[in-house]
Amino acid sequence: MASSQELSDFLRDVERRAFKQTAYAVRDDHAAMDIVQDAMLKLADKYPDKPVTEYPMLFQRILQNTMRDFWRRQKVRALWTTLLSSFSTQSDDGEARDPLDTMDVDDGSQNPATQLEGSQTLQVIETALQKLPARQREAFVLRYWEKMSVAETAESMGCSEGSVKTHCSRALHTMAALLAQQGLGTVKELNT
Amino acid sequence: MKTDNTDYEYNEDAQGKQIAALLDEKAQRLSLRVLKQLEDGRNQAVNRHQKQQGSTVNADGTLSHWVSWADHHRVAMAGLALAVLVSAFLIMQSMSANETSDAFLLGADLPPEAFVDKGFEPALNQSASL
Repeated sequence: MASSQELSDFLRDVERRAFKQTAYAVRDDHAAMDIVQDAMLKLADKYPDKPVTEYPMLFQRILQNTMRDFWRRQKVRALWTTLLSSFSTQSDDGEARDPLDTMDVDDGSQNPATQLEGSQTLQVIETALQKLPARQREAFVLRYWEKMSVAETAESMGCSEGSVKTHCSRALHTMAALLAQQGLGTVKELNT
Repeated sequence: MKTDNTDYEYNEDAQGKQIAALLDEKAQRLSLRVLKQLEDGRNQAVNRHQKQQGSTVNADGTLSHWVSWADHHRVAMAGLALAVLVSAFLIMQSMSANETSDAFLLGADLPPEAFVDKGFEPALNQSASL
């Protein structure tokens, strides 16, 4: 059974990645935060007696399921919004911006040129990741970002190992193609 | 042929890890507000975990356990079994008392109706005092 300290350490280790992964998937930072916090609480509520070694797999599964719930709710909401949109003409985009929202934690370790090149590459990768089909993105995130084995990824996604390899390969090719289009060569070798 | 495939997979893996490393680097540079919200969520989850494990946080930051959540169902089952035993004992006692009074009434010299007749009260009191 994992102790509260172990749970705390585990969450501290994965929370940033989990937030970014969710944000790429749902394309909404506020929704991503709600989903990650919800997943954290579900992990603590439902699996207090599990060993800490099982937490990575459990947390990823909870996170993916919570994202699916979010999409289902979005689908229903979109339907109602479409139905009711003809009654409303006003835009509600007047929320004030908080400077803390845009203030990044900058380590200042790179020079501006490197930072620019890096940020361009990263921007293309982020865009590509957002555009990937959900299953390809899930496979890529679990396999490479969460450093799971093919077998673990397959178990977490509930599919075969062959499907995981296919999803990952397609995801990488899509990213490589987008980077090549932009003249950024980080993953050029994939296309050769 | 197989070597080509292995090389290809190895290249893919390397590229995947390279991209993931870039994304991971980006994930380490979140806004202060996001970091605070993540910390809040984490603390809330840890507090719930502590409550479920029946522990409280001491002043020095250590945890003290008073009862494990996993033992709650055992305590409930033990309580239920005890309640059943006590109920069974009380029912047996009550049945035993009824049987004793029935035997007394049937074995007495007087008919059972005499015990509810007020006219027999002095005689009954007298025999009881003897």
